[in-house]
Amino acid sequence: MKKKIVSMVLALMMMMGAFVGCGSNSSAGTASTASATNGKTVYPKGKVVIYAYGQPQYLQQYYDAWLERNKDIASGVTIEIVQTKGADDSRQKVTTTYLSGSYDDLPDAMYIDPVNLMDLAKGDIVKDETALVTPLVDKMVSGAANDAKFQGKIYGLPDSVRPQMLFYNKQIFDKYGVDPSQMSTVEGYIEAGKQLKEKSNGKVYLSYIDPGSKTWRYWGRRGLMPQANAKIWDDEGNVVIGSDSGTKLALGALDTMYSQGLLLKSTIMEPALYDATRKGEVATFDIGAFWDEFLRKNVPETSGQWRVMSAPVFKDVGTAGAPVSSYFAIVNKKDGVYAGLCEKLWKDFNFDSTSRQEWVNKMVEQNAPYSNPISLDMLKNKFWKESSTFYGGESFRAKESEFLQNGSKNLVVTPQDAEADEIISAELEKYVAGSQSMKEAIANMDKNLKAKIGKAKIEK
Amino acid sequence: MNYRTKIRLQNILVYSILSIIVFFSLFPVVWMCIISLKDTSESISGFNSLWIAHPTLGNFSKLFNAIPIWTNLYNSAFTTLLGTITTLFFCSLAGFAFAKYRFPGKQFLFYFVIATMLVPPEVGSVPLFIIMKNVGLINNLWSLVIPRIATAVGIFYMTQYIKDVPTEIIEASRIDGCGDFKIFTRVVIPIIKPALASWAVLTLIARWNDFFWPILFLRSSKKYTLMVSISLLPISDGLSTPWPVIMAGTTFAIIPIIVLYLMLQGLQKAGLTTGAVKG
Amino acid sequence: MKIIKAVKRYRYPYLFILPFFLLFLIFQLIPLIWTVGISFTEWNGIGSPKSVGLGNYQLLMKDYMFWDAVKNTVYYWVTGVVFILLLALLVSSLLNNKGLKASRFFKTASFLPNVCAAIAMGIIFGMLFDENAGLINQILVTFGGTRVPWLTSVTMSKIPVVILNVWRNTPWFTMIVLSGLLNISPEYYEAATVDGATAVQKFFKITLPSLSNILFFCFITLTVDSWKIFNEPYILSGPGTSNVSLFQYMYQSGFSIFKMGYAAAIGCILTLILLIISIVQFAIRVRQGEM
Repeated sequence: MKKKIVSMVLALMMMMGAFVGCGSNSSAGTASTASATNGKTVYPKGKVVIYAYGQPQYLQQYYDAWLERNKDIASGVTIEIVQTKGADDSRQKVTTTYLSGSYDDLPDAMYIDPVNLMDLAKGDIVKDETALVTPLVDKMVSGAANDAKFQGKIYGLPDSVRPQMLFYNKQIFDKYGVDPSQMSTVEGYIEAGKQLKEKSNGKVYLSYIDPGSKTWRYWGRRGLMPQANAKIWDDEGNVVIGSDSGTKLALGALDTMYSQGLLLKSTIMEPALYDATRKGEVATFDIGAFWDEFLRKNVPETSGQWRVMSAPVFKDVGTAGAPVSSYFAIVNKKDGVYAGLCEKLWKDFNFDSTSRQEWVNKMVEQNAPYSNPISLDMLKNKFWKESSTFYGGESFRAKESEFLQNGSKNLVVTPQDAEADEIISAELEKYVAGSQSMKEAIANMDKNLKAKIGKAKIEK
Repeated sequence: MNYRTKIRLQNILVYSILSIIVFFSLFPVVWMCIISLKDTSESISGFNSLWIAHPTLGNFSKLFNAIPIWTNLYNSAFTTLLGTITTLFFCSLAGFAFAKYRFPGKQFLFYFVIATMLVPPEVGSVPLFIIMKNVGLINNLWSLVIPRIATAVGIFYMTQYIKDVPTEIIEASRIDGCGDFKIFTRVVIPIIKPALASWAVLTLIARWNDFFWPILFLRSSKKYTLMVSISLLPISDGLSTPWPVIMAGTTFAIIPIIVLYLMLQGLQKAGLTTGAVKG
Repeated sequence: MKIIKAVKRYRYPYLFILPFFLLFLIFQLIPLIWTVGISFTEWNGIGSPKSVGLGNYQLLMKDYMFWDAVKNTVYYWVTGVVFILLLALLVSSLLNNKGLKASRFFKTASFLPNVCAAIAMGIIFGMLFDENAGLINQILVTFGGTRVPWLTSVTMSKIPVVILNVWRNTPWFTMIVLSGLLNISPEYYEAATVDGATAVQKFFKITLPSLSNILFFCFITLTVDSWKIFNEPYILSGPGTSNVSLFQYMYQSGFSIFKMGYAAAIGCILTLILLIISIVQFAIRVRQGEM
């Protein structure tokens, strides 16, 4: 009896093995080449794989609708989104897969940020899209393709350009009688924080600071650094962060806020921050349009209390937040047949108004993330100026477009920046942890960048 | 103080220390289960995390929408079961050779096996990745099974155990005309069942909880094991998965193996410890 | 000729142990030697490696992140060995108590942490130790303490990692030590009791010496495990490199910023350290006449 069970288990395992063996080929197995009939490219049956991060399951709704509409060219095609932890993770996965030579397992396309896109472009892992993007540049919000350039070519399809903005809880400001309009400058922003702290007896924080790598990513690289016109490298690629006056200004402002107790130390996407926000203890969220999703999703109770304004500017510099671009990159996949399909998908997503609006409406219903389109034509539609109850009747979408103006220039991105981010963030994290002063942190960043990287390769 | 009160005091001490240890052993797991049943809108900071106002299974359905968890579960089960069966077979086979045969170089080879335990295979992960690619095992569940079909620690353990199998039985069956392999399957395996069972439990646990190799070798969400899949839940650039949903994920990953462990533990008459490593 | 004859004669035992050596060769030895080779090159994984001689090693010696990782790993090693072995001795002695009722329940329950995945438990411990929302700080505050920045301070961030490590791995070693205790003949204790020895004396005169082989085995296993600790600090990451382990640093260098040569050099140093520790340990044992 027992023997029978064992042999049955073994037989079962064998069958499962065979089953798994078959399954692994299905993604690429049947894909032959794309064929052209009646001037239309028809794609073979199979699966398109796209790497994405954030909450990509919501994008799937757009893709599925798109496949439904495009049955004539893509019947039998399915799109699978693979969720990664973030842009770093996507790059890491694609690079290791590329390195392992298992090209079938590469995604067809991926969402990516400028720093990581640069790294992939350097390794020739993503497709050169100069021909497709160049004629469209005029139709997109300005600067949309800027960060995708490497050696004169454009490697990513612009997916979104979002401004830096300041979210503030109007109810808190009203309660303590603090004037939010003073927050148009960083200096005023800090002042508002001091007033809030004083009037609430230390209960209300101006904002948050993350003990991990997100402080450098959001407050630093995306936020205060570009606004203060700061530099990690000079034009030749030498490390200058230690002597740069912009860095001193940017990180100095962060230091002022943190050392005066205006920032709640809390990991960015975790319950402590939701709770504090819910209880009205965090008055503002600066830098990053993604706070829109954060607030809608995690603290829906605070609906109606929030307002947005442009990210505060440094008095001496005067430019607002640097726009954050994200890209949709087509992977250079050997024998891949879906590059054209992914390009079309991108083009429709960004230039086909009706379908985009339908999708955004669905997102609003589900409190899900979406961002403004990059197409200027699409933005003219009044849909993108509709008011939002979450922001007390103000139009978040209109503001998102408006705040793109007067943006600062983003930090120069070099192929060395992925590593530089780790080195810089490590020092900043130690500062947040209280084990060194900001002055020491900056000095250490400089020292360690010089020791571990030496010189960055700046593309001109 | 007479002898009896002394014994009683001693007993109280023993039971209270053990109870404390059991409490600390179980608490994090129970706490996780509680949170996984809390509605996402409930606060889970501080003491709020200890009770559930509105118990819900909603987190699990959200979890099922977020990741292909049944596929992941299957992948975990496949690699765990197959890995355990193969490693039990090959480790005991080698253990049999080391324990019951005399052959040139045996002593040296046995010490060699033990010495390999001192160098973790993880240090060679960079070239191992390339080797895996060349044998076509990247993104293949077999990559988690094949390299560990025979492990040093397993062989060491099995050798120690098989040494205790009476040699006379083996000799007797040899005289009866059994071949070497048949002796192993018909005579040795039935005798060492308790050791196989204990080692099976430990291997099942280790393989189920494996994390480093899966993140290295598996490349797509359809191939991920549960551990990889749930490790991706908490951190996502710019946005977050609510904690109760994450806890639903960890609960989903931990409970099956706990249940399996309790079942196997119940099956074994003397518990895990009988067959454990001897000095 | 002689060899062929021997192989033929002893083909069964050789055949039986062959799978291990074959797999060892392909998946451990070749990668190890290859790693040494890569460690002398600069290679991002794509394209061909560029030879840099000892460059990676020179860079490592100057790399403070590497030294942080070494220090942290030593910390995990020492705390792991001390706490895990002490706790394992304590718990196994308690479980070995002859008159213990419900011993089965205690054994099963106290082994549970080892069943739970480090990754999943890491997520949960991260939550327990959260500075603002965590249960542990809430308890501290209730008893009049202050919130401790467990995972957000350079000095404290190793503690949750150590606690998770001890929590999860003690049961395994408890079980091994317990099996050793079960093998000690009760007659020794009876004789000692007749001679009027106290419990403490019995522990030091009978229990510890009888366990010396087992404890040595535990020590070596713990040493290897501690030096390759990865899951715990990976999930419970603290500020900067404050709790990064050596192995984790190797993984990050290799598969996160793709400095493969650099990662390989770290791997080589890690191997070297483990070999030195083991050789020293074995030498001490041999000198003591234990082996």
